[in-house]
Amino acid sequence: MVVAHGLPVSIAAPSSPSSTLYDEMYLANGEVRAHYANFAQWFASQSGDAMAIKRAEADLLFRRIGITFSLSGDEGGTERLIPSDLIPRIIDASAWDLMEQGLIQRVKALNRFLHDVYHDQAILRAGLVPAEQVLANAQFLPMMMGLNLPHETYAHVVGVDIVRHNDGRFYVLEDNLRVPSGVSYMLSNRKMMMRLFPDLFQRVGVRPVEHYPALLLQTLRLSSLVDDPTVVVLTPGRYNSAYFEHAFLAKQMGVELVEGQDLFVRQGVVYMRTTDGPRRVDVIYRRLDDVFLDPLAFRADSMLGVPGLAAAYRLGEVVIANALGTGVADDKSIYPYVPEMIRFYLGESPILENVPTWQCRKSDDLNYVLAHLPELVVKEVHGAGGYGMLVGPAASRDEIEAFEQVLRANPSNYIAQPTLSLSACPTFVEKGVAPRHIDLRPFVLVGRDIRMVPGGLTRVALREGSLVVNSSQGGGTKDTWVLEKESR
Amino acid sequence: MLARVASELYWMSRYLERAESMARILEVCSSIALLSTKGESQDDSAVSEPLVITDTEAAFEASGRVLGMGEVAQFLAWDEAHPSSISNCIQACRENARSVRGAITAEMWECINDTWLQLQHRRSLLVPGASPVDSTFFEWVKERSHLFRGVTFATIQRDQPYLFIRLGTYLERADNTARILSVKTRQREQGDLVADYYRLGAVLRSVSSLEAYQDIYRDAIDADRVAELLIFSDRVPRSLRFCVDEICDILERLPSQSGRMARRLAVQLQARLRYGDLQEVYERGLYNYLERFIEYNTEVGVAIGQAYLELHG
Repeated sequence: MVVAHGLPVSIAAPSSPSSTLYDEMYLANGEVRAHYANFAQWFASQSGDAMAIKRAEADLLFRRIGITFSLSGDEGGTERLIPSDLIPRIIDASAWDLMEQGLIQRVKALNRFLHDVYHDQAILRAGLVPAEQVLANAQFLPMMMGLNLPHETYAHVVGVDIVRHNDGRFYVLEDNLRVPSGVSYMLSNRKMMMRLFPDLFQRVGVRPVEHYPALLLQTLRLSSLVDDPTVVVLTPGRYNSAYFEHAFLAKQMGVELVEGQDLFVRQGVVYMRTTDGPRRVDVIYRRLDDVFLDPLAFRADSMLGVPGLAAAYRLGEVVIANALGTGVADDKSIYPYVPEMIRFYLGESPILENVPTWQCRKSDDLNYVLAHLPELVVKEVHGAGGYGMLVGPAASRDEIEAFEQVLRANPSNYIAQPTLSLSACPTFVEKGVAPRHIDLRPFVLVGRDIRMVPGGLTRVALREGSLVVNSSQGGGTKDTWVLEKESR
Repeated sequence: MLARVASELYWMSRYLERAESMARILEVCSSIALLSTKGESQDDSAVSEPLVITDTEAAFEASGRVLGMGEVAQFLAWDEAHPSSISNCIQACRENARSVRGAITAEMWECINDTWLQLQHRRSLLVPGASPVDSTFFEWVKERSHLFRGVTFATIQRDQPYLFIRLGTYLERADNTARILSVKTRQREQGDLVADYYRLGAVLRSVSSLEAYQDIYRDAIDADRVAELLIFSDRVPRSLRFCVDEICDILERLPSQSGRMARRLAVQLQARLRYGDLQEVYERGLYNYLERFIEYNTEVGVAIGQAYLELHG
């Protein structure tokens, strides 16, 4: 089994009839939406041959630059290219501005939640989130209790997966507060599109995203209380599926890309081994999971981590971004409570909507889910990558019956959601251009302010009717354009 | 910079230099083998020469191949089980580069990645069973190595990464020149004088020094002068003296705290070359002299590893 765990992963439900498909570019009557008008006009004037040449050029460019990912479980490091589609996903100025506000609000509340559960646990005492959902959660780290982090920031880099349903509205599918990835594809897509179609950007008026690495570096530097801190990117190594991204970001930020073996802890202080001898490290932007960070504190068999790192962290000698134990807030069993967090901590009503979720650990919810399996998507609470889940409408009767057994055996391990019909965007396929389902992952940076670049990574399911956008299963990406000015 | 990164860069350039050396050796040996088959039986010593130079006779035998120029070339160029085959060296070079992409320029990475992609393509065109000696392949390897060095020279900051890249190149190159020279020498001592002229010409060509020889000596090719040129010249970029000068120069510019032993060994070696002459070489015997050089050079490499490249501390 292959799981591309370094890459953003999400799965939504299968396609609904095309009559109910929400197309990002076209209205139901076939007219071009206002915010796509400029692009559509340009696109219509391009010959098929010219576009074919550009597509080949893009492919070559990506392969040459080596923007690839490798499938985990394949130590030989077989590298695959993630297809990048030349038709951009365009978001209108006002739609983005609202989304941005919603993201800021949501990420602020999630950080407050993390601080709270590791300190006073007010939200648990208020009974708004069941205590056992948090305290018995495998992602909850007791070692974080009472630890004060600079600026009370837990999740410095957040990737939020957003989809548009055929009702035309955006829904948050999941929050990624651990080590969200994919931002290098966002930047590479933009770089390639600007190289291939420079004139188009002037014509359409697209907000820039290229300053993301600068914002990230600033965020990381400000995360430490030290003056002029030394920042490093910690990678599991070259065989990790997202290694390209780790190297890319380190290079763009001008900081060292380190592996666990490059770091060591002496008397509670973290150093890296350099040709000039040991050098102190103040901020670690880590791209590996909690359990691999320190073999003394977590998995003893981890060869990727740094012995003593957790102890140094507790002493406050080093900032780790994202903090340890953030997984307790992006768990699928906690997800249904995010709107509640926003109301509780911020006293605001949520701007972004959650997908309605049934929690199978509740007997009422479980009964509903069991009765409606053919129309629901059922996911493991801690699962990722599209495994161990049921997509009701796409499953055979046998599959549904088999899953029912699994679900009954351990209901608290599952949640269920209605089958969403993801919106679609015109995409180059074998034969011409056809609508394909997409999602969106904007990246949110938490420093003294919460900031982001306009846009994010748009992933596209390249197979007809497929809603699986992750790259290990035939997904591709698109450049995401947020318009400078509101169209029309 | 990170010790691990320094190590990857150092090995990246060593592997590429090794691939290039292998291509040079094969190119020259295959052309000599062609010469010597004219009207006589195939010259086995010419055919096995590349194996002797690279210390791989046993490995070749173990691979079950039959001795012949085509098979030898196939083994040293493409054999996947042989760690120092050209294709494996390029693969290793690219792996090193890949793991330190952040420390090299985008142009350097694209150059080596492109080389690797072209190598895959060339491999896919190989006809199984047939084993032609393909001189265009050797040309290509040299060209790609030249290109990478050029891109490096033109794009990278003059900082520690650059120094470690060059350090790897010159250590590998010194070793290679000494090996080529020692094997040709041994054969001469065995009394194989017939093709002496061609052999010496081939030695010079294999280290890109034929033109330098003609320019400096303006005379027929002579074994003593060839040895003198490739050991003591401070002008020919593949001579032992030149390589060791470069190594000393680089070590001078690296952090001195940990590099004392490496620097001392390198400077001692440099003194032997700078103040030595052919007389001394022949007293010891050219072959022994070169063997000793290879050992010294290896010791310098080990000391550099201990000083800068290992993960301790």
